[in-house]
Amino acid sequence: MNCMIFQLKRIFLFFFISILLPFFPDYSFASAGGSLHQDNKNQAPGRKMAIQATKSGKKWNTTDHIKHKILHQEFKSGEEVTQACIYCHSEAADQFKKTIHWTWTDLDSDPENLAGKAGFSINNFCISTNMAKDKSCLDCHPGWNSKRETINCLDCHGQNDLDLNEAFTDIQGFLDSADADSLEIAKEIQKDVMDAVSSIGRPTRKNCGSCHFRGGGGDGVKHGDLDSSMAYPNKNLDVHMGTDGQNFQCTRCHTTILHNVSGRIYSTPAATQRKSLIEDDSIPKIMCESCHSNKPHKSENKANDHTDKVACQSCHIPEFARINPTKMWWDWSKAGKKKNGKKYTDYGQWHKPVYKSIKGEFKWEKNVIPEYFWFNGSMKVLTFKDTIDPGKTVEMSRPLGSIENKNSRIFPFKIHKGKTPYDKVNKTMVTPLLSEPEGFWKTLDWDDAIVKGMEAVGQPFSGEFGFADTSYVFPITHMVAPKEKSLSCETCHAKNGRLAKLDGFYMPGRDKFKMLTIGGWSLIAASFAGIFFHALGRFFIKNKKKEC
Amino acid sequence: MIKKVLFILIALVFTFTSVDTILAAEKGNSRKGKYTYRNVYKKCHARGEIESKKPLLNPSAKTQAQWKRVFDKKKFEIFGCKEEWKKLSEQDLLNIFTYLHGHAADSPAPAKCK
Repeated sequence: MNCMIFQLKRIFLFFFISILLPFFPDYSFASAGGSLHQDNKNQAPGRKMAIQATKSGKKWNTTDHIKHKILHQEFKSGEEVTQACIYCHSEAADQFKKTIHWTWTDLDSDPENLAGKAGFSINNFCISTNMAKDKSCLDCHPGWNSKRETINCLDCHGQNDLDLNEAFTDIQGFLDSADADSLEIAKEIQKDVMDAVSSIGRPTRKNCGSCHFRGGGGDGVKHGDLDSSMAYPNKNLDVHMGTDGQNFQCTRCHTTILHNVSGRIYSTPAATQRKSLIEDDSIPKIMCESCHSNKPHKSENKANDHTDKVACQSCHIPEFARINPTKMWWDWSKAGKKKNGKKYTDYGQWHKPVYKSIKGEFKWEKNVIPEYFWFNGSMKVLTFKDTIDPGKTVEMSRPLGSIENKNSRIFPFKIHKGKTPYDKVNKTMVTPLLSEPEGFWKTLDWDDAIVKGMEAVGQPFSGEFGFADTSYVFPITHMVAPKEKSLSCETCHAKNGRLAKLDGFYMPGRDKFKMLTIGGWSLIAASFAGIFFHALGRFFIKNKKKEC
Repeated sequence: MIKKVLFILIALVFTFTSVDTILAAEKGNSRKGKYTYRNVYKKCHARGEIESKKPLLNPSAKTQAQWKRVFDKKKFEIFGCKEEWKKLSEQDLLNIFTYLHGHAADSPAPAKCK
């Protein structure tokens, strides 16, 4: 009798486990994800490799600029400073003037439809630079006094906060006054300039950020993953740049050849090769794989099987704009209102402008969840020469790539939406003149600003304009979160997960394939039946043996 | 009649005040004021009273009317660095006022001390 009860218990336990198992299909996933979060004692290979690649954090130089006599002079203009730089760095200016940082055009694009800020490209922020004729845009051009003539080497290499353009204007002003006080102040400023000119180094986060954190005319306006919070981030905001961790400067990944800084994204990919530094230590752009390899997780981790289809950024940047808000909406159609006959600005949450007479309505967001697209590293950018369909959302930029392309990965993006002016008859986007004395920001006159802006770029304007719904995308690649905050499997492998909108492929947990489901359940049912009959058989055979 | 006299008086007071402000702002040297203002904080920083060499208040921190009130009433305690402010001459103060007033929040060119 006891034996019979024991056998019954075994059968019951067997059934119990068999019934429960299907309710924990993620068991293997959970263990895989969990291993992402283990302590450092048992590091993943990609992490070990990255630590090895970056173990020497010490910077070293072969020169001390303070010791160069040519820099010990009373500079009176920026051009004189550049001449002093070129005296030693004889090829630097020629190199730099061929780079996209100087030309603001993508020379790999079609010359008839030249992409780039100084080319024909447009966006749904400040729309256009009018082919670099709108002077306020040139504040970020690396030349002296917002002119595209002489390179200002210190924009990228200066380690001193002094505003040299302002300093030189003031020096000239004081020298012109010629009274004793003024001459003394001029000498003082020249001493400050000398200090600044001698304080030279590799570009820091601050150098790059002076433009790239403020793209679109303000902190965090354009990029969702680049704003002033990245000047001195902590590890929680960016594991690589965190000042309490690796403290990477931008140049650690954005390597340079002949002053061409890697990483730009236009019509051609920034990098076509996915190599680790062990395979090739002179690759043109450092990517995640360069330091972490394409199997960065532990061997049993399911995430390793994703690296050929999912970009590391997709899981490791769960949200962007985590400290400062980023602009997500810009409605130009609302611009032009006045209060008491005057232009005005309304501020909203985080003390960010939500309405400006000269620019229209804005929306800002923090901790934004990215949207995901297949991306091969190239973008399709709209120009003011392209014909548009104003009935649909006009994609002013969109990522290129597909599941079929071996270089494509699922990649996270910020999508900035808005309403932007277009030519109703010619069906093209328009480029209103904005900051100039006759621009929209002064006059609030759309007709006049569009006429003048289109004249500046040599394009026709019918005289009729409207506002089209537009979108503009930015790849998200900075603000890499600590591993504990990377996305779990079910964030995407779920019916309404983050990849719900990506179609054209089967994804477990998200999609249902009827035949596969029926087949799966049939197998489970057959297994149950097998277990049941097997157990039943053993039960009766054993009892029979005892009776014998 | 009384109304007319009152109106003329008010208009005169307003005109003199405005002219006074404009003249006051024009008398100083804004460029010199900017450097004198910055030097106050450089010296104060060197003395160890403040952590940064940058001025505590940007010109755009106040409106033109607010700067005028500060200088009319000589409320210089808002600037900190008392020792340095005490040493400034009347001309220095006028120059600083001209700079701050000329780049106030409601001026055509609001400025921050970079």
